[in-house]
Amino acid sequence: MATRIGVDIGGTFTDLIFYDDAKGAISIAKVPTTPSSPDQGSADAVAAALDRKRIAQAEYFLHGTTVGLNALLERRGAKVGLLCTEGFRDTIEIRRGSRAEMYNLFWQPPEPLVPRHLRLPVTERMKSDGSVFTALDEDKIHEALAIFRREGVSAIAIAFLNAYANPAHEKRTAELLREAGFDGVVSCSHTVSGEYREYERTCTTVIDAFVQARMANYLDRLRGGLLDAGFQGECLITRSGGGAMNFSEATERSFETIMSGPVAGVEGASELARRYDLGDIITADVGGTSFDACVVKDGRPILLFEGEIAGFPLQTPWVDVRSIGAGGGSIAYVDQGGLLRVGPQSAGAVPGPACYKKGGVEPCLSDAFLSLGMLGNGQIANGMSLDFDLAEDAIGSVAEKLSWDTEDTACGIVRIAGAFMANTIREITIEQGRDPRDMLLMAFGGAGPVIGTVIADELDISRIMVPEYAGNFSAWGLLGADLVKSTSLTRIMPAIDESIPALNEIFASLFSDLRSTFQGQADQSGYGLEASIDMRYAGQEHVVSVAVPLAGDSVVASGQDVADLFTKEYANHYGVTLEETPIEMVVMRATMRRALPERDAKNTAVGHHSVLHHVVEAYSFERKQRIPFELRERSGISRTEIFAGPMIITEATTTTYVDDGWVGEIHPCGGMLLTKQERQQNG
Amino acid sequence: MAEFQANPSDIRVHVASHGGTAEQDIDPVIVEIVRHSLDSAANQMKRTLIRTSVSPLIYEVLDFAAAIYDKDLRMLSQAPSLPLFMGTLDFCIDAAVKGIGGTDNLKPGDVLLYNWPYGTGSHAQDSALIQPAFSTNGELLGYAAIKAHWLDIGAYAPYCTDTTDVYQEGTFFPGVKLFSEGKVVDDIYRCVLANSRMPHIIEGDIRAQATAVGVGVSELERVYARFGAEVFPSAVEKIFDHGEAIVKSYFEQIPDGTYVGCGVMDNNGVTQDKLPFEATLIVDGDSVTVDFTKSPDEQSGPVNCPLPSTISASRVAVAMLAGKNESPNEGHFRAITVKTRRGSMFDPKPPAPCFLYGWPAMQAIEAIYHAVSKVDEAAVPACSGGDICALVWWGVRKESGEMWGDGSPFPVGHGGHVHGDGCTMMHIAESATQFAPIEVMESKFPWMIKVLEFMTDSCGAGEHRGGLGYAISFHVLEDCFVTSSVERTLTDPWSIAGGSEGVPNRMEVQNPDGSVETIGKVTGREMLEGSTLTIYTGGGGGYGDPKRRDIEAVRRDYEDGVISKDHVTKYYPHAAGVLESTAQVAAE
Repeated sequence: MATRIGVDIGGTFTDLIFYDDAKGAISIAKVPTTPSSPDQGSADAVAAALDRKRIAQAEYFLHGTTVGLNALLERRGAKVGLLCTEGFRDTIEIRRGSRAEMYNLFWQPPEPLVPRHLRLPVTERMKSDGSVFTALDEDKIHEALAIFRREGVSAIAIAFLNAYANPAHEKRTAELLREAGFDGVVSCSHTVSGEYREYERTCTTVIDAFVQARMANYLDRLRGGLLDAGFQGECLITRSGGGAMNFSEATERSFETIMSGPVAGVEGASELARRYDLGDIITADVGGTSFDACVVKDGRPILLFEGEIAGFPLQTPWVDVRSIGAGGGSIAYVDQGGLLRVGPQSAGAVPGPACYKKGGVEPCLSDAFLSLGMLGNGQIANGMSLDFDLAEDAIGSVAEKLSWDTEDTACGIVRIAGAFMANTIREITIEQGRDPRDMLLMAFGGAGPVIGTVIADELDISRIMVPEYAGNFSAWGLLGADLVKSTSLTRIMPAIDESIPALNEIFASLFSDLRSTFQGQADQSGYGLEASIDMRYAGQEHVVSVAVPLAGDSVVASGQDVADLFTKEYANHYGVTLEETPIEMVVMRATMRRALPERDAKNTAVGHHSVLHHVVEAYSFERKQRIPFELRERSGISRTEIFAGPMIITEATTTTYVDDGWVGEIHPCGGMLLTKQERQQNG
Repeated sequence: MAEFQANPSDIRVHVASHGGTAEQDIDPVIVEIVRHSLDSAANQMKRTLIRTSVSPLIYEVLDFAAAIYDKDLRMLSQAPSLPLFMGTLDFCIDAAVKGIGGTDNLKPGDVLLYNWPYGTGSHAQDSALIQPAFSTNGELLGYAAIKAHWLDIGAYAPYCTDTTDVYQEGTFFPGVKLFSEGKVVDDIYRCVLANSRMPHIIEGDIRAQATAVGVGVSELERVYARFGAEVFPSAVEKIFDHGEAIVKSYFEQIPDGTYVGCGVMDNNGVTQDKLPFEATLIVDGDSVTVDFTKSPDEQSGPVNCPLPSTISASRVAVAMLAGKNESPNEGHFRAITVKTRRGSMFDPKPPAPCFLYGWPAMQAIEAIYHAVSKVDEAAVPACSGGDICALVWWGVRKESGEMWGDGSPFPVGHGGHVHGDGCTMMHIAESATQFAPIEVMESKFPWMIKVLEFMTDSCGAGEHRGGLGYAISFHVLEDCFVTSSVERTLTDPWSIAGGSEGVPNRMEVQNPDGSVETIGKVTGREMLEGSTLTIYTGGGGGYGDPKRRDIEAVRRDYEDGVISKDHVTKYYPHAAGVLESTAQVAAE
């Protein structure tokens, strides 16, 4: 039981959801994002939806933001100096050598966040077994600091080779910097990540140093604004790897929050999957500029242990959300070879699709939706009303090049976008060895419920869930975040009994590191411990992460048990096992997790049928022509009603387009479950 | 499929196949959806292979190509993987299907194995698996095929630079059924494994490769079924027409004419003479001919490039140049004619050795760009280090007595270009490939890496300078062996528009007694404990007159220690002021 506020800052809109625990009631707001000071947008949303009394009731403020990400994209961060092992000054510039756009002759990697003259070598060297090969030359640190001071460096990253195996030199270097009076941000690679792969770990450390101060300022301002508004609870921010952390931890480990935006919706979907046994699901989050998809398996999103942002790797847990440039603002055009194309260029928030009346003239996916009648009468979020004529004019410019009429062109734009999204889903499901047809598609974001049946038809998926507050679902997802702390360490050991004592020492030390982050402020009770080990067959490089049973801080399993867990997981993943090949443990991962108090998902439907009951003409992809669609308000659908397409269902923040052939009902989770009729019968 | 027109003088002319014509009224929306679905199908093959393979050569180096072909052996799509393998699989499929007696002998669930170098274009390790796709009425629709590098399938050493005939280079499977109607053909399978030094590893990779072609087949069958016998073939014709139009619109803008580009091999692996060659580009309207007929005769050492890879190199070069950064299909190849001379280095005859076929092919790509740069300076970057600076290591671990092995390419400096300075990354022939982190290397192999750092002044000067070369040093902790296939150590990377040349690749061994020797191509060189091998990778050529380089850019490079005082004085006299005003920081 806890009343809470969720605020998600997206590229175009800032969304708020307030959950009042006593009444089970929810309030929402959607205001424009204020890119120059995003905390202002958050304050606006709070002011728009809540009075002082309700703010004071809230025990948690949960936040998702792209501030860290934007700092990176726009290169607005600290002036960072990097201390590195002598002989390895160029790691972050040589990278791993690959080209992100492999057919692009002129592709260039992003410029490193630290220029070479601020990457200073330190005489020291650890071996991969953690033994010291060259002692730390402390004088070099002082020389480097003098240069950093002269150059106005405000944050120092320390990333030495093999520091994952022995962090002594990094620790001593940080001490020396402090002793010498440096009071800016110091970020050590071994605290950022205990894992090997120096390019990835160094990049992560540099990013941490780069965004930390900016993020701290931002979080301080945000918290300050909330306190002024009467908030007395705890402030939390979501992590790229799922779950949330409090603001003071986020200040220390800001790199963990870089992807907090897209993750929240997936977390919300996972929460529903766990609570209502929805089985494995595919999320389809369609916003203004991108389509984000993720597979949720056994109630948790697929997790990676490395992410990528702005062309840089981040060695941190990472919810595997795949993004393609296809959203409501994606621009349609005819290419040089004469084919109709959609995206990845986007009209963004400004000028936006032509129908937004902000001066956009290029036809966007949203223009096609509107012109086909898929958005009903064009009344969308915040009472904004869209302009049919502008949409048609914009589409007309492309239609002319194809010698088509506007309707065929608009329809083509939607089908192409839907097919792209469907192909992305095919690719992410095949990576999990899954057939999308037996999974549930969860469609949200402003445009997800509009195009949901088109994607599902493309994939032969027969069940779609449009959750409550689908248009603000990322903010809704924030409300259910668990509190999560995690850390990891690379230590390569054979999976045999003799390794178990060393394994347990590592886990004890990892959990103790996690506990030390509580800083006395919050109580540690209620946290569950989780341990997993990345394992592999000896000789391989790629690993499979396996959860292992714990009692207290210790693994309760023999070497053989651990090996068996791996073999089983490997077989699940790859369909085969390698007999007689020794198994190695590579990375140990420790997690502490506490669920926030449960909240009820209450159906807000009131079931008065007569509120709005019009009919609009809209295009049916099933029937390949315009037909009458019933136009309903979502709040007017009762819990017991079975409704059927063709129907367009409106609500404050999104529109659900239900094509002919789909029937719907209100699911106990509060969402609308749409089912394809004939596929259901055949299947 | 390929059409050959033999010619009395042994000149062979190769053009991509044109096939049918599209119906005029095919819905372009369907064309775009089919096109994207076929690209996605190839991607799904790639992801499946990466997910299930056991060898880093596959999942990290991406030493494979996954593609889907129609029944007339026209490429429907290829996943982004190893560019050098682009568009070679039609030859493999053609030869493999002939090997089993023709299409009448193909059954659903069959997987053919083919690795004869003169049909794959590659060395024996690059083995193709091919599975046919059928409609629900049992009509042949096309093929899914993957050519992937198997870690070892015989040959006299795990990696060879000095073979003198193809039979020293591996064991061959000339189109045999590895799976018959979904069941493994045990006799063949055991023969494969019996011929490998590392049967456990290739076993895992073969299974992965077979699974992945199966994914391609079911996707092709699904897409076909979805659009039907009427629509699918027309959509495919339109897709090819589209690819063709994109590439042709590029060549239309290039003035007609004959342009010559050059490559130089250090040697052929057996004899020590330098081996220059020419690639001639003949632009005629919207089409281009790549002429290799003037290249040297086939060589006694393994730098012969069998025809499929010569064609592939031409396709890679053109697709990257004119393909708008998109995944290519057969249509993209239609504007290209490739001319070769039978019995030459770029169209050798068996049993000429061809283990290092990839090296002339790699250089051929840049030789084509060299030719292009003569007509349009803005169209291509200047020359890179021109090689992948690859090393293959093996040995027996002291403590465990187990055999270990590893092979990897390394990045080089790339040429400056009209849009900016060159950078340091993998050669375009392996543009999606990564090399392993040092911490991973040191945890697995008996090395300590002493240095991985840029070399000052290695870049060609220019308005936009070349990318930097760097040194990477392997200090060997246990006796072992290494094969180096390093190339372009004797020829500077060329520049464009008045830029200066880059510094070529170099490889050096310091023996335990302190003596130092430069090495080139070498097979199985013994590396004693305590010796150190250093690669100094080349720097890219410069673009444009150095005197037009922005002074602030010179200042930045000088402060960063990547160019020296002498370099500034020599190439950027207009920016000599930066020497005065800048306190140079720690240039080693």
